Order: sequence, then structure tokens, then C-alpha cells
Amino acid sequence: MIDSRQASAALADIDDIVQRVKQSQLYELASLAAVWWGVLVFAANLVTWLWPIYAVYAWVAVDVLGVGGLIALRVFDPKSHPFGAGVGIRLFLIFALFFAFGYLVTNVVGHFGPRQLGTFWPIYFMLFYTLAGLWFGYAFVAIGLGITALTLFGFFYIGEAFPLWMAFVNGGGLILGGLWMRRI
Amino acid sequence: MAELDDIIHQPLRLKIMAALNALPATAGLEFSRLKKLTGATDGNLGAHIETLAKAGYVSVEKAFVGKKPQTTVTATAAGRGAFARHVATLQEIIAGKQG
Repeated sequence: MIDSRQASAALADIDDIVQRVKQSQLYELASLAAVWWGVLVFAANLVTWLWPIYAVYAWVAVDVLGVGGLIALRVFDPKSHPFGAGVGIRLFLIFALFFAFGYLVTNVVGHFGPRQLGTFWPIYFMLFYTLAGLWFGYAFVAIGLGITALTLFGFFYIGEAFPLWMAFVNGGGLILGGLWMRRI
Repeated sequence: MAELDDIIHQPLRLKIMAALNALPATAGLEFSRLKKLTGATDGNLGAHIETLAKAGYVSVEKAFVGKKPQTTVTATAAGRGAFARHVATLQEIIAGKQG
């Protein structure tokens, strides 16, 4: 029989591994979401660069497919997720509020041009990524701050090719970040 | 008075069972992910999974994903029950009812 100190150590080991499993599951889910959004954002930025006239349609499609993809992840594979079933509805509400606030800032309070829009939405999205990272793991913080810094660099220093820059920085960054999360 | 489960009590097997028990009932973990989570070597992890499987605490499923073999380990109902009893015993020891 073991003593209470050894029993406490065993329970601490259990707690530690449970936390690691939960974080691993969260990273797996976040990785899928990041890669999915990354592919969409990459494509929409390319459309914006090559055929600016169709940019608005491309970005509406990204938003619909992006949020739809996340909800589909919940609907088709809910058992492997670390959180409860209510997260699907909350996820939808989070995105509804997210887009409503973004629209208010860019179209009502201010009147942003294409370059400002192309900068605001990624850094706004990455702000939430970074904040989430303070609770859920350093990978979110690294991806959020990294993409924000490169986006701002592009805003100030990249000229006509800004949408192409953003295709690689935002789209490519999310894809690489998502793949990196799977390896952590 | 409850006894500690000798099979689960070994440190690596305790980690394996804790990791599997943290998942929903029918979900399992791939061998490579379990290896990363527990920090064990291939051989050591394989041997301890075999011990748990022989006791009926885990089920092991081998499949091919493309050309790569993939081993998935899942806690059985018996394994989950044994793990819950083991944890309860540890808590009793800490509370001073045993040990």
C-alpha cells in the first residue's frame, strides 16, 4: 500500500495527463479549422488580387463556407470534441457577434477601403486567436501575433501586391499554423 | 476496504488509462499520439498496452490508413470502471481512510 504523498503524486500525474489530452484534442480541432480557413482566405485573396471586381463575392463565400465548415465539424464529429454539445450554438453566436461588430466598425462608424478592409479583418480575427491563446495554449498566441505582425508589415510596406502578400501571410499562415498545431 | 489496482498502478499504465479515460466512451487514441502524451518509447508503450489489453482494460484496433499502419487504443467499460475505482482508492488514501 502507498502513503498519502504517493497517492497525491499519482493523482497529480492523472490531472496533468488529462489536461494534456484536452489540449491535444483542442489543438486537433483548431488545426482543422485553421487549415480550412487558411485555404479559403488564400483563395479569396488571390481572387482579390487577380479579379478585384469579384472580391466582395469571394469574401462573402469565405465567410459562409468558413463558418459552415466549423459548424459541420461539430455536427458530423461531435463525440471527439472536448466541449459540450452547446458549443455549436455558441460558436454560431460568437461568429454572428464577430461579424456584426466588424461590419459596424468598417461600414458604419468608418468607411474602409479595400486595403483597410484587407488589414482590419485579419488582425481583428487574430486578436481573438491571441486572446484565446491566453487560456487554450501558446500556439494560438504565436499564430495570432505572427500573422498580425506580418499583416501590419504588408499594410505599411507592400504596395499593389498587398492581396497577394495577404494570400501567403494570412491564408498560408493559417495553413502552416494549423499543421504546426497537429505536431505539438 | 478498496485495494489499489496493481495493473493500473504502474506509472506508465496509469498515464495511459488516465489519457484514454479523458476521452468520450467510444473514442480512442492513436499509438503515436499516446506516445507523445505519455512521453514513453515505442517498445515500453507497446508492452504496457499489451498488459492492459490482456487485463481487458483496453481494446487495440489495427488498421491501415493509406499504406501506413495505424494502431488505436480505446479504454473498455471494464477499464473505465477499474480506473474509477483506482482513483477513488487514491482519494481515500489521501483522505486518511487507508494507508
